[in-house]
Amino acid sequence: MTDAAPARPAPVPDDGSQPYWDATARGELALARCSACQRFVHPPGPVCPHCGTTEPALAFAVVPGTGRICSWTVVHQSSLRAFEADVPFTLVDVQLDGAAEVRLIGRLLDGPAALDAAVTVAFEPLPDGSAVPAFSLVDP
Amino acid sequence: MSGSFPARNQVAIVGFGQSPVVASFDRPLGAVAVDVARAAIADAGLQVGDVDGFAASSLLPTAGDHQAVDGVSTVSANWLAEHLGVDAAFATGYQGYGQLPGSVALAVNALTSGAARYVVLHRALHNPPGRYHGSGRTEAAGAAQWTMPQGFFGPLPMIGLATNEYLQRYGATREDLGRIVVEARKNGARLPWSFWHERPLSLEAYLDAPLIAEPICRFDCDRPVDGVAVFVLTTAERAVDLPHRPVYVSGYATGQPQRHRLPLHWPVDDVRAAGTAMATRLWERAGLGPGDVDLPQLYDGFSMFVWLWLEVLGLCPPGEAHRFVTDGGIDSDRPGTLPVLSGGGALGNGRMHGVPQMLECYLQLSGRAGARQREATVALAAHASPHYGGAVVYSAIPG
Repeated sequence: MTDAAPARPAPVPDDGSQPYWDATARGELALARCSACQRFVHPPGPVCPHCGTTEPALAFAVVPGTGRICSWTVVHQSSLRAFEADVPFTLVDVQLDGAAEVRLIGRLLDGPAALDAAVTVAFEPLPDGSAVPAFSLVDP
Repeated sequence: MSGSFPARNQVAIVGFGQSPVVASFDRPLGAVAVDVARAAIADAGLQVGDVDGFAASSLLPTAGDHQAVDGVSTVSANWLAEHLGVDAAFATGYQGYGQLPGSVALAVNALTSGAARYVVLHRALHNPPGRYHGSGRTEAAGAAQWTMPQGFFGPLPMIGLATNEYLQRYGATREDLGRIVVEARKNGARLPWSFWHERPLSLEAYLDAPLIAEPICRFDCDRPVDGVAVFVLTTAERAVDLPHRPVYVSGYATGQPQRHRLPLHWPVDDVRAAGTAMATRLWERAGLGPGDVDLPQLYDGFSMFVWLWLEVLGLCPPGEAHRFVTDGGIDSDRPGTLPVLSGGGALGNGRMHGVPQMLECYLQLSGRAGARQREATVALAAHASPHYGGAVVYSAIPG
């Protein structure tokens, strides 16, 4: 058995999420909006959780990606083998500005985390060319 | 007392059996389950041939790469019926949220409809080899694509994030959190069947433990175990002919999250909103309020659930539960407190997924708690996180 940790799990886009991952690869955060009620649906899904339409015709819109920290955790031990070499790392729970329905979870690239601290989206590159949304402090 | 639940107090628990709770049985889980079921049936004053109904959840509650194999890592209602040699009139599994409240609901429905006369309700937990929540997955597909690529995977970061939100918003500390664990382990140490028998935990040992997903350390998590518990239920009319004092099911409720979120993302306000809605239904069905419950037993698979249950059940105002606990409010050794972990809970017994809470309600209300006997006529067993779980109210008083 090899001692090397496996590569970080890459996201597997599907029809509903391809636009999201195409945007992150370009360094943009794009979220799906329900065409009936205009609210954001994240993660995207077949029924709008806000207005109930079964034909949401989700349209992805780029958002600024700023927000405020609602919580965080520092991971010291990961149950994913791929992250064993990365610990400790911090994950933040961020309420996005301009998208009251959406809180994202991503790695904090700098720190320290604090309640209500302002953050802005950043992107972690993965070997396959995809990128994972992350956050950095506006005022480190 | 009256509630809106038509089957209120029409079904009772009339017997039980439990295995020791251990790191690993020396026999397959299914064999132990059959033995415990036979013991429970005999405890109820019945023969195996009297039993015609089976209700259970057979969830293997782990995020890890483990196979669910009936009779080995799980035991379903049908597996148990077949291996007990019962040609069951009613045998079914519960797949919804709140495994034990849901199983109780199935039993109540079967008994009050006449689909079964005597129901065996069981829960069999298994500790599989390898790391419990460990995964070697290298692809994040489906729902996992939203959280796994950034390293947010499994219950520990999930509960770390939720617990830290509570600590940050309300000024609670790890010391406050540790007091929940100390109380659970104190009581679990007094139970002969518990994994933690004779092994209480000090606050110092808790605070010294390495962090896993801050602020969570291993003592904030229930220890995976092998264990089986079986309860026998029947109608109130039949219960009075059996050896033990019946413990009646007064009502139950299960709930579900109300907000659309990323997988494993548990904002505290989401938990509270869904939990409060579920609790409102529970009180209305059972015809009770929080002040009527002598013996709440609150779920503690992760330590912070106890704070959230205290709050959604209306036993503490939102944001105040940590102060209540730290001030001694749940100390089972002090009179006049809410002894919500008197049965040891999951943290004090091992990962028995709601069984310790249900068992303590049964033992206390039936008068079978021996040296640990308390005066109580109304009890409540809470299950899982308030927003993905439920609760059952029990009564020692018929009618």
